[in-house]
Amino acid sequence: MVTSAVETFRARAEEAQSSVHALAGWPEVAALAIALAGDGRVALAPSLARAQPALLAWLGARALLPDAAAPAASVADAAVGIVRGALAVAETGSVLLIEPDLADRCVSMLSRALIQVVERGRVVESLDAVPGALAEAGQPAYASLTTGPSRTADIERSLTIGVQGPHAVHVVVLG
Amino acid sequence: MSDGPARSGPSAGIAPFAQRYRGALADANVRGGLLGFQRSWQGTRDAQMLALEAIAGRGFGALRDEFAAIKDRVLAEPARYVAQFRAHAEAAGAVVVEVGSAAEANGYIADLCRRRGITLAVKGKSMVSEEIGLNAALAAAGVEAVETDLGEWLLQLAGDRPSHLVMPAIHWRRGQVAALLSRTLGEPFDADDIPAMARSVRAALRERFLHAGLGLTGANALIAETGSVMLVTNEGNGRLTSSLPPLHVVTVGAEKIVPSLADAIRQVRLLARSATGQPISTYTTFISGPTAGHELHIVLIDNGRSALAADPALAPALRCIRCGACANVCPAYQVVGGHAFGHIYTGPIGLVTTAAHHGLAAAAGPQSLCLSCGACATVCPVAIPLPAQILEVRREAFARGRGARLRRLAWRAFASRPLVAVASRLLALAALPLRAGGFTRLPFGLARRHVSWRTPPAIPWRPARARAALRAARAPLAPTAASGRRVLLFLQCVADRLAPEVPVAAAALLRAAGAEVIVPPDQHCCGLPAFDAGDHDAARRMARATIEALDGTDDIVTAAPSCVVMMLHDYARLFAGDPAWQARALGLAGRVHDLAGYLAGPARLPAGTLAAGDRAPVTVHRFCQGSHLLHAEDRLERLIADLCGVEVVPLAEAEVCCGFGGATSLAAPELAAGVLARKLANVGASGARVLVTDNPGCVLHLRGGAHAAGLAIRTLHVAEYLAARLPAAHASASPRGAGER
Repeated sequence: MVTSAVETFRARAEEAQSSVHALAGWPEVAALAIALAGDGRVALAPSLARAQPALLAWLGARALLPDAAAPAASVADAAVGIVRGALAVAETGSVLLIEPDLADRCVSMLSRALIQVVERGRVVESLDAVPGALAEAGQPAYASLTTGPSRTADIERSLTIGVQGPHAVHVVVLG
Repeated sequence: MSDGPARSGPSAGIAPFAQRYRGALADANVRGGLLGFQRSWQGTRDAQMLALEAIAGRGFGALRDEFAAIKDRVLAEPARYVAQFRAHAEAAGAVVVEVGSAAEANGYIADLCRRRGITLAVKGKSMVSEEIGLNAALAAAGVEAVETDLGEWLLQLAGDRPSHLVMPAIHWRRGQVAALLSRTLGEPFDADDIPAMARSVRAALRERFLHAGLGLTGANALIAETGSVMLVTNEGNGRLTSSLPPLHVVTVGAEKIVPSLADAIRQVRLLARSATGQPISTYTTFISGPTAGHELHIVLIDNGRSALAADPALAPALRCIRCGACANVCPAYQVVGGHAFGHIYTGPIGLVTTAAHHGLAAAAGPQSLCLSCGACATVCPVAIPLPAQILEVRREAFARGRGARLRRLAWRAFASRPLVAVASRLLALAALPLRAGGFTRLPFGLARRHVSWRTPPAIPWRPARARAALRAARAPLAPTAASGRRVLLFLQCVADRLAPEVPVAAAALLRAAGAEVIVPPDQHCCGLPAFDAGDHDAARRMARATIEALDGTDDIVTAAPSCVVMMLHDYARLFAGDPAWQARALGLAGRVHDLAGYLAGPARLPAGTLAAGDRAPVTVHRFCQGSHLLHAEDRLERLIADLCGVEVVPLAEAEVCCGFGGATSLAAPELAAGVLARKLANVGASGARVLVTDNPGCVLHLRGGAHAAGLAIRTLHVAEYLAARLPAAHASASPRGAGER
């Protein structure tokens, strides 16, 4: 049986407690964010807001951009954050976030629920693609392979989702 | 290796070993929690390693060996790789400093804080920081360092310290955590609502993250070709710690360097599967230089690492990726936990590296708890020969510890066959009035600590070597590949003197398979007990005598696989630097077989040959070293099922050590009793009432343990079990026969 990288990615990511959504375009991403946010705000990674300015319009008053002077405090515990992933790795269900800018990172680190958007063409089979992607990005100062929501098993080995990082991760495979 | 005083660091705050050992035994939370953990971890880890094989197209063994070789390449040329790492990290804007001691490292960081006016630091989980006592040093410099890993923070609040490399608070129960958090945060917590506790910790630590001037982390790897720091966490605290404060300081040993990002990915594939049984941890971060406007300092700490690297026996310990798997399979660790089984670094790897980082005195107590079962070496993802290294530390401790002279004399005496013969006669005589049903019953609560949980065996008057039955002729049952072959029978000192029926049975089985059995008269002890105790001089003396006694070209067979392990694996090390004896040892190793292997190999009788006899179901304890070093797997089960046609009931955790461990069960009887209890519980759960195994020491240990616990379990050496089924018609044993004492 031939399983596509996207299908394998979905299976592995769901095993890691991520939700995976195949969406056609950015408007659908905005709609997902609004649905997840309820009455809360949607923090946008500044690099994403620059690349997809329409997102700000679609999100309207919910949109939240990190404050340049105090990025962490300004987006901490936003209901939803949206960031862009550089790769989605089928082997482990991971998303590679390339985030040299602290403001981008604050959105992915501190939002309660995080949407990671990866273009379909950037779904790869194996972790072996990661070194190449980092080299291509010029060895960015900060990059993370993230796999599902933040978790701990420090209390009696009981798996507990949601510690310092997001308690829910939604991976959007775009296009 | 250092034998000097403890290096600077937190050792001073750690209670003496004996006190930690007693404290651990008294804490039922420890063994209960760890037993559940070890069992569930093993299942998850094994499943993940199988899945990895499907992903990588190669199994755990191949990936482990490949990565271990990569680590060795770096360890062989540390200067070159440090220079490469430094060049790339500095080009990316990081500051790289190399320091010798813990005090220098702490001084450097405290000084940075003073110059930047920092009084609050947040900290990711870092064993190196524990190793150097960073928190205390910073506190002394007026800097509060707040742990942000949940487990580490709880320990910090309680003034406790990690008992596991990966799960620092594994020795805590949820009720204790709820009580601690209620006191600290001033709100009530339900012990069963762990998510609520995690949410409150998130809120409580948030302000610290936002206001800290310094973020402190360790590193899981340093990547030479890019100058990157790899940091792996599950909670997300590592990313916050390394991102939010304007200054990030990494404390790490240079042994964490890997050549390339591709090699770091190789490490990632092994690390989480070995640590937590995850395919990958939640966050694997690559930091290449500081974030714009921030500072990144990478402090490369030696603190005994160069000395470790210079010791060929111990250097492979520097491959360690701190997954903690060695502790997760260690039966001794399960009973006492990491506060006793280790120092600051816990588990089997801690028994090795403690001497280098914190001095031999700190390593001397814990090393005595190792049972040498070999489970840690089998599971290690970087193939560190941990049991051999622990014995190396034990050798150092033996040579320099208190009472070394007296112990040396005792082993010298044991090396003498005539002396042992006289001593065992005297012992048998003294124990004669105490003999009861195959056991020795000590009166008046004598030696309670040693005999209350394991009834000692009766001490036979005649050793196996003096028994006519050992030499009794027997007609072969069927032609085998061993028909007409001369076989030298090695009796083993323990079986010869304490379980003579075992060599007698072994001889009968070999003859039934058509072999001509010779019992070389000058044999005594292979040297294992002395080697195990750390006295290599006495061990060499006995090894040489054994090699002489068993000289020739004939196959050598023994019913004691522990001696086979000694001859196959340890003789070569014992004679390192002595090519002549090493060659003779190798020649011996090529001829030696354990009885079960021989009966399943050349001396294999046709299926069903021993079908007549007891039909009761049997369960099999797999001798731990046989599983880990001789790859015996289910050989014993198959042999019994094949020859006897009886039902062999699977035993849970069959290859987990029974707790005998040679001298360990004498030095740490409570520990041995704990490991034995796990084994006997599994035997009880199997439903079988006959327990068969193949190492004489384990037979006596299990038999005595079952007796002391009042269990209706018959424990037999496989030779006894099989020989009892030999048809009487073929037996021509001496009239004194099996009952001979």
